[in-house]
Amino acid sequence: MLYLGLIALVTLAANSATRLRVIAILFVGIAVTAAIIAATAATGPQVAVTAAAGLAAAGILFVAARDATYGEDPGWRLWLGTFTAAIVTPLAYASFRTVTGEPATLPLLQDGSGVVLEVAGTWLLSSGVAIMLTARSAVRVSLAALILVTGVQLLARLAPEPRLATTLVLAWLEIVVALAGAFLIVNERVVRDA
Amino acid sequence: MTVAAPAIFLALAACVAFALRKRVNEVAWFSLATVVMTFIAVSVTPVDTAARLLDVDLRVTSLGRLAGLVILATIGMLIVDVLLDEPAYNFFPTALLVGAVALGVLAVGSPMIILALLLLGLLVPVGAFTFQVHHNRSVEAALRHYSFVVLGGSLGLGALAVAAGLPKDQPAPTVVLLMVLLFVSFALMLAAIPFHTHAALLAGEAPASALALYFGVLVPLTFIAFAEILAGSGLLPAIVQVSRVQDLLVAIGLTSAFGGALLAAGANDLRRLVVYAVISNLGSALVGIATLSGPGIIGGIATALVTGACATQQLLAAGTLERRAAGDQPNAATAPLAAAVFIAGGIAMIGAPPLVSFPGHFFVDLIAYAVSGLAGSTLVASAILLLVAQLRAGVRLFAGTPEDWHIESRPVAGVLGSIIFLALLAGGLAPDAFLRPIAEFADEFLKVLRPL
Repeated sequence: MLYLGLIALVTLAANSATRLRVIAILFVGIAVTAAIIAATAATGPQVAVTAAAGLAAAGILFVAARDATYGEDPGWRLWLGTFTAAIVTPLAYASFRTVTGEPATLPLLQDGSGVVLEVAGTWLLSSGVAIMLTARSAVRVSLAALILVTGVQLLARLAPEPRLATTLVLAWLEIVVALAGAFLIVNERVVRDA
Repeated sequence: MTVAAPAIFLALAACVAFALRKRVNEVAWFSLATVVMTFIAVSVTPVDTAARLLDVDLRVTSLGRLAGLVILATIGMLIVDVLLDEPAYNFFPTALLVGAVALGVLAVGSPMIILALLLLGLLVPVGAFTFQVHHNRSVEAALRHYSFVVLGGSLGLGALAVAAGLPKDQPAPTVVLLMVLLFVSFALMLAAIPFHTHAALLAGEAPASALALYFGVLVPLTFIAFAEILAGSGLLPAIVQVSRVQDLLVAIGLTSAFGGALLAAGANDLRRLVVYAVISNLGSALVGIATLSGPGIIGGIATALVTGACATQQLLAAGTLERRAAGDQPNAATAPLAAAVFIAGGIAMIGAPPLVSFPGHFFVDLIAYAVSGLAGSTLVASAILLLVAQLRAGVRLFAGTPEDWHIESRPVAGVLGSIIFLALLAGGLAPDAFLRPIAEFADEFLKVLRPL
């Protein structure tokens, strides 16, 4: 429960930031909180790989900013993204918890049933979709892409699929998403400055 | 390890090519040699060879080997074209990495890993799309492609993860919701109408070789991955019981087939015509898969694979014609061989006999009529519109008299297009070699669909 509040807060903070370097630093917060949430359903090395990918992605964005002033002001889009995520998350949770009908417990810290994992993953996915649909430049598109991949990394913990391979391929995906986003940020800036 | 070796070899070669990318000639020949060696390795690997890497099962399937060989041959031709006609240093590592990802996607058995690898492959060409950023909107096009791919891929991965984590015997609304998410995810990545705006922008702004890599290799690969993911997701038996899901897939396919054909008929430049024709053909292929029948699945996958080859042929020819026209309207006078192969590619694209594109279109149209008269009629109308679009392009290209024609001194696109056309013709004359591996996959797909 505590971690759900934490991830909502850091997502909101990253979404509201206007400077790319601040966005990159706040994304570290998202990645670390996601890693703590994932720790209930994954082994230590798997969590470490995912967290390292998150840190690397944040580092790539930080370097792509080149200076402390470059960024994008979300304006009213911040609230659209936040309210969309706030509405979609409970709807999605209600839709995908349909069979057992057992009431889910929400402990303050631990997450034995995977509820926090699922809700946090859905929150990040819906936030990422809303940010991406309202983004005007590569800065917020890249943030949205990284939030989406982090959400997928959390939801993937629910699947009994090959865990090690999924962890590795999603970690690489996060880095490639950050690299491609950074490439676009740099090129977009070149065009704007010309 | 035999199963994974070609993909790993290509991925390592991509790293080498990236390190040496500024030495264009050397890297081009190195890339070509790597692709040829990988082609040989894939062709000699026996079907049903299995392996386990990390904790993932890998297997060489008949379809995987066929699609792998087609994709490697296409990448080889693109490398030759870029080397001889349109040198671009960033193309070679991109092409090799796309090849590695493609072979990985075709060998892996886990749906989530397939989709994650596919997503990696679709993101790699972002660098190749960005071209002359001061003069055009290629950054905007690449950014839109990036958004659509990440959005679609993440939604698909999320849906697969939730589907795998849920207990069995879910109620219909849950299955419908998951399938809608999965379909929308692939519609975004396949640029199906109405999710095609990034493809339209790319068609106008990206280099022809990068477009060919995307529409000739990655889009058909995405379609095959979609069929493999459907088969492996565990959702197929539930789809049969919920007819709305099947209807939804048919509707997306028909909209894309007809809408793409309409847009192609109105397209004023060659590249847009090709891109919209690809979108239309993939719409038809989606309808084939949606029928959940043997002929539909065979026709759909055959159409997707052949469409990739035709798109490569036409896009390379279009690139040559545009370069020779130097800003004017492309015309056969400046590059008659390229114009001829563009028209030949158009004939293949519409599924005309005796080319190998015919059986795929024929199967899909036939099974669509069996499902509903409206679906069959829509697909036939789409094919007629595509024919009109290709004829319009042909008339514009060949306006003028043959006396004005100057055979190009280095007819690279013409020669490569002729090779592709001959391969399509040979496939049409002996279709069994092409269709049998696809039929084996269709058989496996139907077994998953109806396990009893």
